[in-house]
Amino acid sequence: MKQTLRYDQVSCRLQVEGLPDLSSGQAQDALGIITGWSLSWPGRPELEGRREHLLALMAVVLPYARHLISGVARPFGGGEMPVSIAPRAEGGHSLQLRSSQPDTPSLDLHLDDAELADLVRVLDQLRLDPRLQVKLDLPEPQPLNPREVMERVPLRRRLAAPVGGAVALALAATLGALLPEPAPQRQTSGQRETSGQRETPGAAGATPQPSSRQPSVPPGDGAQPGNP
Amino acid sequence: MPDSSPEPPSTPLSRRGLERLDLLLLSAEALDLNGGEAMVWMSQQMGFSGLFPNRVELWKRRCHNPLRRATRRGRLDPAETDALMRILCALADRLYPLLRALLATNEPEAVRQRRWELFEGRLADLVRERMNPRRVGVQTLLDPQRGARQRRQLIQSLALGAGTGGYERLRASLHDPVV
Repeated sequence: MKQTLRYDQVSCRLQVEGLPDLSSGQAQDALGIITGWSLSWPGRPELEGRREHLLALMAVVLPYARHLISGVARPFGGGEMPVSIAPRAEGGHSLQLRSSQPDTPSLDLHLDDAELADLVRVLDQLRLDPRLQVKLDLPEPQPLNPREVMERVPLRRRLAAPVGGAVALALAATLGALLPEPAPQRQTSGQRETSGQRETPGAAGATPQPSSRQPSVPPGDGAQPGNP
Repeated sequence: MPDSSPEPPSTPLSRRGLERLDLLLLSAEALDLNGGEAMVWMSQQMGFSGLFPNRVELWKRRCHNPLRRATRRGRLDPAETDALMRILCALADRLYPLLRALLATNEPEAVRQRRWELFEGRLADLVRERMNPRRVGVQTLLDPQRGARQRRQLIQSLALGAGTGGYERLRASLHDPVV
């Protein structure tokens, strides 16, 4: 009656024991009631626990792997959960298991990327094993939200473009302010006299020629200089 | 061996997603000298002959990667990208011992370094042969220092995306929004 499911990878072995739930009509080789499980690593203490601990391990490690595949390494678990996993600053991953027994210190395991991949594979094998007929209630892997995707880019690189733009704008504004204002154009006598006349488009930009715009004086009116 | 895991609703893959998918396939080719052949064989074995009847059709789909030297415009059909992802996960599953060896830290540093040099050398050859060298993404990937993190990320993605369980994770990751 007792069933044992075993999954092996290079660095770890997961063994799940249980019984088929015959009241639900499960087959003899199915496992519908988990009575215990163990996860053994060479050179490290063996992990054991009840169904809840196994579900907590899966609920923390699989989403962590999901985020890691997108390049986002962020901690999962902690608080009230018996299992937590987080990236380590010096590389690798820290898997922490808190015992439900009082006065039992928590167990901290340091895994490298290969060991984490092995752990994920054994959990995947268990999750997808048709003999395991236990409702796992694990969320389907989903695309990350834009904020999480943005956070995988280091803050310095994320700020480089807007800060660079702001600096360039400030520099351009300062240079613009330093340039001397153009002096107002002085009006010539010729312009003053013709100000009442309508300007033609051709004459608008032309430099006035005072000599050619001198009003002609009618001869013999006594206004000639030198005449008494 | 087509697998029967439930298929979430299909949406077209973004250009960034296509770029990552093709780079992951290229990494699998860099790990396996017969990777190109293995891909075609795997496609037939998994029942995708209707989508990719020959290697040219498979190559044409992969050319939707915007980093390619001869890139193709437009989007791929979700059925085609999902099939490419399934092929990739099956390849990664087959190459898992190599992926694991690259990621493991319990071996002598010289051995690990030699493995990485081999992989990076083959990947650089394939990238130079098929990708547009004027694209910044290609230049970064080929850069010994700047591209190291991205190359490790490709290997880690393959290791975590290997097998049937990895397919859902990889698929969700390739559908990440572009920001």
